[in-house]
Amino acid sequence: MFVQLQGAWSPLFGRLTLDSIPYSNPIIIFAFAFSVIAGLAVVIPVLYYGKVGYIFREWICSVDHKKIGVMYIILGLVMLFRGFVDGMMIRTQQVMADGPHSPGFLEAQHGYIPPSHFDQIYSSHGTLMILFAATPILTGLGNVIVPLQIGARDMAFPRMNAISLWLTVMGAMLVMASLFIGDFSDAGWVGLTPLTELPYSPSVGVDYWMWAIQISSIGTTLNAINIITTIIGMRAPGMRWDRLPIFTWTTLSTSIIGLTAFPILGVALALLGADRYLGTHFYTAGLGGNLMLYTDLFWIWGHPEVYFLVLPAFGILSEVIPTFSEKPLFGYITMVAATFAIAGISWSVWLHHFFTMGAGPMVNTFFSVATMLVGIPTGVKVFNWILTMYRGRITYTTPMLWSVGALLLLLIGGLTGVMLANPAINYTVHNSVFVIAHFHCMVLLIAFTIFAAIIYWFPKVFGFTLDEHNGKMFFWTFCIATTVVFTAMFTLGFEGETRRLDYLYDPDWMPMLIVEEIGIGFYCLSVFYFFRMLYVSIRDREKNRCGADPWGTARTLEWLTHSPVPFYNFAVTPQVHELDELAWRRANNCEALMPETYDPIHMPKNSMVPIIIGVFAFGFGFGMVWRIWWMAGFSLLAIIATVIISSFTPDPGYTITAEEMRRLEERKEPPGIVADSHIPRPMAEERIV
Amino acid sequence: MTDPHNPNPDPLLHSEVQQASLAGYISGYTLTVVFLGIGLLITQLHGLQPAPLLVTISGLAIFLLIAQCMLFFGLDVSRYNIWKTVSLILTVPLFILSIGLTVWMFHALGPVMAMPEMPGMPLQPTVLQ
Amino acid sequence: MDAHAKHEGPLPPLWHYGETEHDPISTKTLGFWLYMLSDALIFAGLFAAYGVLDQPMNAAGGPGIAKIVHPVAAFWQTIAVLSSVLAYSLATVALKTGNRNGVLAGIIAAIVLGIIFVGLEFADFASLFAIGATPDTSGMLSAFYILVATHGLHMMFGILWMLVLIPQIFLSGFNTAVVTRLLNLRLFWQFQASVWVCVYVFVYLRGTIQ
Repeated sequence: MFVQLQGAWSPLFGRLTLDSIPYSNPIIIFAFAFSVIAGLAVVIPVLYYGKVGYIFREWICSVDHKKIGVMYIILGLVMLFRGFVDGMMIRTQQVMADGPHSPGFLEAQHGYIPPSHFDQIYSSHGTLMILFAATPILTGLGNVIVPLQIGARDMAFPRMNAISLWLTVMGAMLVMASLFIGDFSDAGWVGLTPLTELPYSPSVGVDYWMWAIQISSIGTTLNAINIITTIIGMRAPGMRWDRLPIFTWTTLSTSIIGLTAFPILGVALALLGADRYLGTHFYTAGLGGNLMLYTDLFWIWGHPEVYFLVLPAFGILSEVIPTFSEKPLFGYITMVAATFAIAGISWSVWLHHFFTMGAGPMVNTFFSVATMLVGIPTGVKVFNWILTMYRGRITYTTPMLWSVGALLLLLIGGLTGVMLANPAINYTVHNSVFVIAHFHCMVLLIAFTIFAAIIYWFPKVFGFTLDEHNGKMFFWTFCIATTVVFTAMFTLGFEGETRRLDYLYDPDWMPMLIVEEIGIGFYCLSVFYFFRMLYVSIRDREKNRCGADPWGTARTLEWLTHSPVPFYNFAVTPQVHELDELAWRRANNCEALMPETYDPIHMPKNSMVPIIIGVFAFGFGFGMVWRIWWMAGFSLLAIIATVIISSFTPDPGYTITAEEMRRLEERKEPPGIVADSHIPRPMAEERIV
Repeated sequence: MTDPHNPNPDPLLHSEVQQASLAGYISGYTLTVVFLGIGLLITQLHGLQPAPLLVTISGLAIFLLIAQCMLFFGLDVSRYNIWKTVSLILTVPLFILSIGLTVWMFHALGPVMAMPEMPGMPLQPTVLQ
Repeated sequence: MDAHAKHEGPLPPLWHYGETEHDPISTKTLGFWLYMLSDALIFAGLFAAYGVLDQPMNAAGGPGIAKIVHPVAAFWQTIAVLSSVLAYSLATVALKTGNRNGVLAGIIAAIVLGIIFVGLEFADFASLFAIGATPDTSGMLSAFYILVATHGLHMMFGILWMLVLIPQIFLSGFNTAVVTRLLNLRLFWQFQASVWVCVYVFVYLRGTIQ
């Protein structure tokens, strides 16, 4: 409207034309075919077994924090897989395109991917991995576990919880859509200006990237509000602040970051959107714009964001390590203090992402010192974990293996981070793959803890344990892969390889690149073992059924529920007496005691409102990307209308009587996560709110 | 926050409804209008040099924000409001850090921008379209 | 090896009966307060952008902030928004006694005064457009418009919210849901006054200081 668009624009279809579909690109055709087959592999069994109504009623319309958490994790794992494929493509391109005489295939001069496509691949790799794989999985874990750990029945705002989920899903769907309709941003996951401004990125790619992040960020902020309110207001009686499990503490501090930092990302992207849609000059290369402003605003968010990812990982370590060392966590108070110190300091370090942008020695020194200070509370945590394991009775189950691996990665990633905090070193390695290797050590430690958490809590949620042998093979192949790839990458960083290169000019790098590619082969093997672990576990699930405490040595409140957890969590709210309540009960031989009488309980009804808002959010995003104004406007009005209309019909919830509670509890299998959850079924009655 | 003896209390009796204070709202309103008016007067009459003037009106703004927190939002450390107060106090430093450090770092760039123009490298970029 | 010693004597109760809902009003207003804090940080980002883009070079040869802000005229906007906030706050005072007419009168006055504020802002923008000072003129003007307009957009949403609440008060009376929304709206509306203090001081007043 106000801006000069390259290419056609029509009132009905906006910028969308048949040419937007890349039907001549063989790689994308293959990706499309793969996605269709994968999608059919899910849809066909659902149709065959007649489960469409069940899936819609019990999952898509669910407001149950456990189901929402599981859906978050499934979304994250699928996006993790796609992000991994992107990473594999990057590695392969670089090993094929090393040196001026390297051959070219499929329209590329070197390697097999032309530069603009390569740029889109590393942009989507970063965006997907950080915002649509790690964030949803960690959010999902928090969703499932935190209410159980504090003895609550659900989150403070169950329907808003579902809305957060669907907004995140729709953000991911926008990124998926960009693969097949139009293209994605080629300006990196950071989206530096003025490259992302309209004159330099005239296609819809940057718009896809921008709206996907904006929509899912709203979901993350709402989720943060939900978790903070839940932890403050919905703890079980006796669950004092000094008895709160560590994972809940880290989730609280993570959510404080989520609440406060994500709005700044919203501003950074909104101002870019204003430039791209309204022709303003916030970051333009002219007419009074300031490109460094974007970098500043983005990293004000960006640095707390990485702590948003790593703090839940630390919380997971603090849960898994004590369980498999059969010792309480060492230094509970210092752990909590360190968590908040990390979160607090993380708000004053962001310039270390752009030391080289010319802020001068005084400013650089301030941010350098602040960055190095973060290492102190992190070190406190590492020593506390080590001291927890010291003189414990350690069992190397799969989650424990992942945790020890994470600690080693934290050491390497943390030390290289402190190196990078020094501007003198930073000036020489800025924008090299040394930086990439550093932050991949950190995000891979997050991945290690994610796998530890999934294997650790899977039996609690689904009622059967995962196969240990395949789990260990998954771990070892993944571990070898990580070591091989990133040792080589640190080396290449010192040899001067810059990041984001689709064509490498120095053939001397070839040996290390080949080493990295071998590492990728190990990652592929680990993916195979992951799927095999799932397959074998599900196949043998009846043999591996477990009770409330499958690991035998767990310590915290969530292990008091049945496995799988019934939809109402606890039949009667537990009274908490000590930190590590389950360990206290075990010490007093009362961990198996169940309540003898029951009270009626009040549960929220499932609702169609969240998925409706989600669908219109996708419509809004898609409409804005392609500048189909009627679609964007209608979707926005529809979202506002849905919120207003649903406010006229508040959810009365439904009550389960004491007698029904008794029947549910005394069944051989209380209703777990895949069972139909309600008796009676509120979704079948009357109007859905 | 639960009251086992009164499971369905009248919402109008909730402390957040009852904390509404006529005196508080009117004084908050008056203070804001008066002090912003004072700020306007000082600025229009050029009563001070630019730097102290800036400090004065900033001080006015901070004073009014604190007054509004107490008179409008009713923030205190009572059981019902403590979390609001705590969360606000934890957020204020973030406000200061993000705006303050940003403004500092951009002014530290100043000397770079004050360099004399090199031939062929104009400081004022050309318009693109 | 557990750190827990065995409990002396008979066990304390393991389960808590007498299930009552956690106070729904406080839960919801705390959640809304947290949302307001995130909103405050949106304004922090916008003020940071404004603080960066107010150098002379960001005017790109066009009109500077001193030329486009009129603090005397904006003082009328100040009166409008503060009076609107006062009107709504008085409505919540009437809520204490369940005085429905008082509440409705306060809300309607708040809506009218809010519309006056938005109208004054539109008029101000229109006069600036007329002299050619549009958001796409320069970075400085972009920052000015987006910051002030974001506040204006919040005001418009608040007015919409008030309009939706009026039929709800008639339909449901002062039940828990409606009372919660009235309390949340009070937080929202008073917050707009706070943001306006910052906008007036740091954009309108500061803009005229050379």
